[in-house]
Amino acid sequence: MRFDLVDQVLEKEEGRIVTIKQVSNAEEYLADHFPSFPILPGVLMLEAMVQAASELCSKDGQRLVLGQVKALKYGAMVRPGDRLRVEVIVKQTNPDGSIMCKGTGTVLRNDTTDTETAVAGRFTIRPVRTSQ
Amino acid sequence: MRWLWIDSIIKHEPDTRLVAIKNVSLGEDYLHDYIINGRPIMPFSLLIEGMAQTAGILVGTMSGFKEKVILAKICKATLDCDVTAGDTVRFDATIDRIDDAGAATMGVIDRRVAGGDAWERIGAVELMFSHIDHNYSGTEFPEHNFVFSDNFKMILETAGLIHLMKD
Amino acid sequence: MKPQETVMNRDDIYAKIQDVLDDALGVDEDEVTAEASLTADLGAESIDFLDIVFRLEKTFDFKISQGELFPENLTENPDWVDDGKLTDAGLDMLKERMTHVDFNDIESGDRDVAKIADSITVTSLVNFVQNKLDKG
Repeated sequence: MRFDLVDQVLEKEEGRIVTIKQVSNAEEYLADHFPSFPILPGVLMLEAMVQAASELCSKDGQRLVLGQVKALKYGAMVRPGDRLRVEVIVKQTNPDGSIMCKGTGTVLRNDTTDTETAVAGRFTIRPVRTSQ
Repeated sequence: MRWLWIDSIIKHEPDTRLVAIKNVSLGEDYLHDYIINGRPIMPFSLLIEGMAQTAGILVGTMSGFKEKVILAKICKATLDCDVTAGDTVRFDATIDRIDDAGAATMGVIDRRVAGGDAWERIGAVELMFSHIDHNYSGTEFPEHNFVFSDNFKMILETAGLIHLMKD
Repeated sequence: MKPQETVMNRDDIYAKIQDVLDDALGVDEDEVTAEASLTADLGAESIDFLDIVFRLEKTFDFKISQGELFPENLTENPDWVDDGKLTDAGLDMLKERMTHVDFNDIESGDRDVAKIADSITVTSLVNFVQNKLDKG
């Protein structure tokens, strides 16, 4: 399994990015989450937002990682066949290289044009920190 | 990729606290897609899931695993230092508040580097869980408790805690 | 002699509630106005109501019972809700039990049960805390 949660970049401009993560029965983690009721794990929705944010903000190919989360809540469930439309907006860039973002994920389903919010909240990405 | 983010439970204080550890190994596939500055880095989102599984089991014990407990909110999470292959992480979760609708938990993440003895504090995670039979009344889902599956039973059995799962 | 009690005034309460809402909802300070509706303006949902209850209990050191701050299980009583709309009896019950909330918009408008939560504003929270602290 590959750990890449950005299937498509729909829009990308200064301070904002919109991406898609598709959910498929072929993805292995679904077998455990949950047996007989496969749904995209909440932390993978967060990871999709983090990867979208890194795609938007990283410079010189230096990937940015998740450092903080604040008030991130989960709503609608995302099932195989659904797509998660992720939107990340940069709120603040700090001198230490960390970037505060606001992210939302909405579920796109095949049988309806109605959308529901699956995830919404704030998070901060930053350069990687490994111990000295 | 298996969706089991803790390896074993090392401490359980009934209705109060649960501590679990996880080894981080190059045998895990996602690490090979998260190489930064030549080092494989475990994404914080997956560490949060480790804490969610630790705290979720603790919340589950309080209803004998009768309630379907799912992660509803990450109130706050911070990671000060990243984790790499060879590290062991420790999730120490405690119940902050619990009632029929759901629970709030607090937790800290510690890390022990390869070949080392000492644990260092690297992060903290505060979560909220919903008891979904009470709150998700619009959604159709299976009757049985699909949340606490065989994977979790195995972890409980190994820790000698399977008696907490009332059947 | 009576011991001195620290009395918290309305401004103190408002400031603490701003902190609670900042932690629970992750909203910007300028979004938290007195008349902001928790649901319609600040995006609060049921999990956030639980979070807010837990945080208010900790901040002000009192206990909040289920249904005391936010109305619950309304639709289960046919005397109060008819076909998704709040009846007169239902509205009277809410006004009596939830004195911290201003239901005027509901009374003169739609009566849609789904919109009741929208009437709960930041001011409603301040009123609630003040009432509880006054009762002692």
